[in-house]
Amino acid sequence: MKKIITLFLVLMLVVGLLAGCGGNNNGIGGADQMDIVYYAYNAEPILNWDPSVMFSNGVIILNNVYETLLRFDPDTKEFEGILATDYSQSEDGLTWTFNLREGVKFHDGTDFNAEAVKFSIDRTIEMEKGASYIWSAVEKINVVNDYTVEFKLSYPAPLNLIASSPYAAFIMSPSAVQNNGDEWFEQANEAGTGPYKLESSSMGDEVILAKYDDYWNGWEGEHFDKAIVKKVSETSSRRQLIEKGEADITHNLPAEDVEALKNVQNVEVLSLPSFTNLFGFFNTEKAPLDNVKVRKALAYAFPYDDVVNYAAGGYAEQSRGAIPKGHWGRGDDLFQYSKDLDKAKSLLDEAGINQGELKLLLTYMSGDEAEKKAAELYKAELSKIGVELEIRAMPWESQWEMAMDTNAQNRQDILMMYWWPDTSSPYSWLYSLYHTEEDILFNLAYYYNEDFDEIIDNAYALSGEDLDASEQEFIRAQEILIKDSPSIFMFDKEDVWILNSSLKGFKPNPAYPLVVYFYDCYRK
Amino acid sequence: MNQSQLIKSLKPKYKEFKVSLFLLKKNRLTKMALYGVVLLVLIAIIVPILLPSAQHIDQDANPQQKLLQPSLRHPFGTDELGRDVFKRVLLGTRISLQTALIAVGMALLIGVPLGAVAGYFGGFLDEIIMRFTDIFLGFPPLLLAIAIASFLGPNLRNAMLAIAISWWPWYTRIVRGQAVSLKERQFIKASKAIGSPPRKIIFKHIIPNCVAPVIVQASMDIGGVILTIAALSFLGLGAQAPAPEWGLMVSTSRNYFLNAWWYSVFPGLAIFFTVLVFNLLGDGLREILDPKTRKN
Amino acid sequence: MKNYIIKRILLGILVLLGVIAITFFLTRVIPSNPAAQWVGPRATQEQINKATIELGLDKPLYVQFGKYLKDLFQGNLGNSLRTKQPVVKELKTYIPPTLELVFFSTILAIIIGIPLGLNSARKKDQPLDHFCRFFSVGAVSLPTFWVALFLQLIFFRWLSLLPLGGQLDTRIKLLYEVPHYTGLLLFDSLIDGNFTIFFDALKHMLLPAITISLYPIGLVARMTRSALLEIIGEDYIKAARSYGLKEKLVMWKYALKNSLGTTITVLALSVGYTLVNTFLVEAIFSWPGIGSYIATAVMSLDYPAIMGVTLFSACAYIVLNLIADIIVALDPRVRV
Repeated sequence: MKKIITLFLVLMLVVGLLAGCGGNNNGIGGADQMDIVYYAYNAEPILNWDPSVMFSNGVIILNNVYETLLRFDPDTKEFEGILATDYSQSEDGLTWTFNLREGVKFHDGTDFNAEAVKFSIDRTIEMEKGASYIWSAVEKINVVNDYTVEFKLSYPAPLNLIASSPYAAFIMSPSAVQNNGDEWFEQANEAGTGPYKLESSSMGDEVILAKYDDYWNGWEGEHFDKAIVKKVSETSSRRQLIEKGEADITHNLPAEDVEALKNVQNVEVLSLPSFTNLFGFFNTEKAPLDNVKVRKALAYAFPYDDVVNYAAGGYAEQSRGAIPKGHWGRGDDLFQYSKDLDKAKSLLDEAGINQGELKLLLTYMSGDEAEKKAAELYKAELSKIGVELEIRAMPWESQWEMAMDTNAQNRQDILMMYWWPDTSSPYSWLYSLYHTEEDILFNLAYYYNEDFDEIIDNAYALSGEDLDASEQEFIRAQEILIKDSPSIFMFDKEDVWILNSSLKGFKPNPAYPLVVYFYDCYRK
Repeated sequence: MNQSQLIKSLKPKYKEFKVSLFLLKKNRLTKMALYGVVLLVLIAIIVPILLPSAQHIDQDANPQQKLLQPSLRHPFGTDELGRDVFKRVLLGTRISLQTALIAVGMALLIGVPLGAVAGYFGGFLDEIIMRFTDIFLGFPPLLLAIAIASFLGPNLRNAMLAIAISWWPWYTRIVRGQAVSLKERQFIKASKAIGSPPRKIIFKHIIPNCVAPVIVQASMDIGGVILTIAALSFLGLGAQAPAPEWGLMVSTSRNYFLNAWWYSVFPGLAIFFTVLVFNLLGDGLREILDPKTRKN
Repeated sequence: MKNYIIKRILLGILVLLGVIAITFFLTRVIPSNPAAQWVGPRATQEQINKATIELGLDKPLYVQFGKYLKDLFQGNLGNSLRTKQPVVKELKTYIPPTLELVFFSTILAIIIGIPLGLNSARKKDQPLDHFCRFFSVGAVSLPTFWVALFLQLIFFRWLSLLPLGGQLDTRIKLLYEVPHYTGLLLFDSLIDGNFTIFFDALKHMLLPAITISLYPIGLVARMTRSALLEIIGEDYIKAARSYGLKEKLVMWKYALKNSLGTTITVLALSVGYTLVNTFLVEAIFSWPGIGSYIATAVMSLDYPAIMGVTLFSACAYIVLNLIADIIVALDPRVRV
C-alpha cells in the first residue's frame, strides 16, 4: 500500500514538475513569432496538390500559392484582375479575350505568359478530373501574342466567372510540369505565381508556406514571412489554441465555444454569410414522396427556427430558395416555408396518409454536428405528426452511393447535403442540383422539369453579358422549385471566424470558401 | 437413468452449488456486484416501460434548455438539444445490456457448434477449425471489430455482428477442450455404438454437457462486450443518434465538454459502473468456481 | 523444444497469411464504391468508370487477391483513398508517435501493475487485496475514451497543469529545430540534448500515456495476482516460507520469478491493448499517430488506410505473441 501511495506521489510530482517547466517556457516566442501567421484548420489543409485536380479543402492552400486570371467579389459583383489586367467579350458571347499581366514569374523562375495560360487550362480540361467541367463551354484557346489569350466557346457562358473559380482555374508553370511530370504534384510540389510558395508539408497535416520574394505585387508594406496551416480536428483543441494565443485564426467552432471566446481578451469573432447552404432532398421517384402534397407537408414540419438557432448555433439564416444569402440570384421576395404542424397534418390527410403509416429514412454525413442536430430536431417534429423518421449517419461516399442506386425504392427518402458553388453563379446550384440528369449525379431529388431546365440554361448563357437580367431569370426558376418542393431549403450557413485581435487585414471572400489570403494579412 | 441414479448424480452438484452460494455470501464485493447487476437489469426492464421511446427518445428535444447544469430538475444536466441526461442514461441501460447479450449470444451460436465439431471429430477438421480460431485471435482485441463494423456500415446491428465475429473463437476453444474429453466418456461411446449419427451426438450430448463452463465464461465476458459496444459507438461505428447509447453520448459530448462537463461525465460513469459490476461479478464467479482457489 | 519453436513460427506465418486474407476479404464486401471515392466528391460517372479500371476493381476477386499479395510483399499497401498518398508512406509518419506512446504506457503498466498484483497476492483476502482487486477490475472497466476526456477536464480545464493535446507546443516547434533520427520524439530530443523539447514532449505525453495504460495496469495486476496465488500454493514456496525466509524475498525472488512466463504473456497482451486504446484516444489528444489516422479513415471509409493500420497492428501483435511464446518456451522452468 505504501508503495502505491509513494508511486502516486512521485507521479504527481512529475506532473507538477513538468507543468512548472511549461510555465518557464511560456516566455519564449512573442517577438520571434511576429511575422508568422498560424491558421488552425479543422481538416487536412490539402490532400491533392495538383492544381488541375484539387477539388476540396485544398482551396485554402492553393489560392495562396497559385493565382487565377480574375477574382470575383460577390459584394460588388465585380472582377478584380489578378493575372489578367482586363478582358473583353464578343457580342455573341462566344469569344473572350484576356490581356495578361506582364513581369510575373512562376516560383520556378520561368515567365508567366499566354502560353502558360493555354497550357494550364488545356491541361485541366484534358485531365477531366476535379472541377474541370466548369470549362465545358470552351472549344479552343488561342495564344494571340505573349500577353493576350483568346477563348473560343461553343455556347455562351460567363467565362469571367469561370476564370475566377476557386477550383480548376489555376495557372501553373508549363516548364515545371513538363520537366517533372504529372506525378510531381502528388508528391506535394507546386509551380504557381502566388505570393507564397510551399516550404514544407507533412502528410497533409501541416503546411508551411514562405513568402515568394519575386512576387509581382511586391512585398512593400506589412506582410507575413511565413504562414502555417495545420490540421486540428478537435474543436476543443482549436479553442485552446486560440485562447492561448498560439493560433491566429480558426473557424467554425461550436456556438458554445464561440460564446465563451467572445469574452476572452485578444480574441475577435467575425461572422458573415458563406455561400454554403444545407438542403434536404426528397426522393421524388418513390411513393408517397412523388406526391407534391406529401413533400409540402414534410417541408411544413421542418423546425426552421430551432435548426437555425440550435443546430447551426444561430450562425445561419433560414434559406430563401436555393441560392444563399449574399450571392447574386437570391430572391429576397421568394416564399419561405415555416414550421406549421397543423398544416403539415392536414396536407398529409389530403394525400390520404394516416397517422403512423409513413416511415422515412434520412441520411446525413457522419461527423457533421449541425446536420446531426438538424436531423434529430426534424425527427422530433415528425414524430409528433405520426411520421417515423430514421436518421442515419453515413460517410459521404456511402450516402452518395445509396442515393445513386438504380432502383428508386432502395434509395433514401430524404438526403441532407451542403452545397457550395464551384463557379460563383446560381447555375452552380440550380444546374447541379435540379437540372434533369441522365445519370444521377447531384440531382439527388431526382427532379425533372423541362420548363425549369430551359429557364436556367438560358439564364446561364445570358449571365456573361447581362448579369441583372440573368439574375431575374434565375429567381423565376426558383419559384418553380418552391412550388414543386423537391427539397427542403434548410439554412444558409454563416462562416464564423475566430481570430487573434492582433491579426489585421483579414478579408474573407465567401466565393473562395474558408480561404485566408495571407498576403493581405499582417500583425499589429 | 433411474431416479436414484439421477439423485446421486445431482447430489454432488447440489452440494457444489451450496458451497458456491456460501462463498458468494462470504465475498462481499461479489455480492455487491450481484446486487448491482440485478439493479441494472431491473432498470433495463422497467425504465423503457415507464418512458416509452416514441415520446421520450424520438420527440425529446427542447433546444431552448440546452446544456443546463445539473439541478434538481435535471440531476445530470441536459445535453446539446435540451434533453435530460439522467433520463437518457437510464434509457441507455437497456440498449447496452440487450446488445451485449445478443452479441455474446451470436458469438456462442457460431463458436459452440464449431468447437463441438472440432473436438468430436478431431483430425483434419479439428486442425482447420482451430487454425481459423488462431487467425481470428491473431488480431489485437477490438481491432477486428472496428474493421468489420466500418466495412459493414455504421449501426448497432452491424456493431453486434462485428463483435460476434471477433469473439466466437474464445468459445470454440473452450467447447473443443470439453468435447475432446467428453468424447472419451462412456455415455457418448455407448451412443456411438448404438449407431446415433454424429449430428445427434453433438447436439444431444456434447453441447448440452459443455454448456456450464461456456455460460460461466460468457457471463464474465458481458462487461467486456458492453465496453466494446460503447467504444464502437464512440468511434461512430455503433448506435446512431438519437439513440441514448452511452458511448455515443460521450462521443457527442466531445464538442461540448469544455463548457458542459456533466454531459461527458455521467454517461461515462454509467458505462464504468455497468462494466465494473459485471466484471466484479465475473471475477468473483471465477474465484468461486476455480477449484484451485476454492480449496484454500 | 526445437520442434515446438518451429511449429510455433509456422503457425505464426499461417496466422499472418490468414489475417491478410481476412482483411482483403473485408475490403471487397464493402457496400461502398472505392472508385467513386478515389475521384473525389463531385465526379462524373465517366471519371468513376475510368478510376474503376485504373484501380483494377473490374478484375475477378482472385486476381485482385494475387495482386494484393504481390503488392504487399513489395511493401505496397495501396494509396489512401482520402489523401491519395501511399499508405506505407503515411504509416511511416504515423507509427513512431504511436510506438512512443505504447512504449511509455507499457512501462507504466509494468511498474504499477506488477507490484499491485504482487501485494494483492501476498495479502490475499486482506483489505489491501480487496483494494487491489477492486482497482484492477476497475481499471479494465473504465471506458478509455471517457478517461481521456475526464483527465483533460481535470488537468487542462480545472487545474491548467497539462496541455489539452498535441505532441509538441507549436511555438517550441517553430523556435527549435526538431530533431529527427528515430522518429521517437523523446529519444531524439535526448540524443540532441534539447531538454526544452524533451520536457515539452513529456508533458504532452503524460495524459495520453496515463489514459492508455490504465487498462493494461489492471490486466497486469490481475494476472500477476492469479499466477502468484497458484505458485504460492506450491510446496517449494511453502517450504521456503517455513525455513523462515523473509516474506519479501520469497515473493520477489521465488514466486515472481516463477510466474515470469505469465508476466511475459501478459506483457504481449497488454501491448496489444495499449495499441488498441490508442485508436480510441489519440484523436481526443490530437496525437499524430495511427490511432488518429484510423479514426479518420473509419469516418471516411478509406479502406486501404483501415487495412494498412489493421495489418500493421495485427502483424505487430502476432510477432509479439510469437516472441513471448518462444521466450516462455525457452525458459527451463516451463514445461511445454
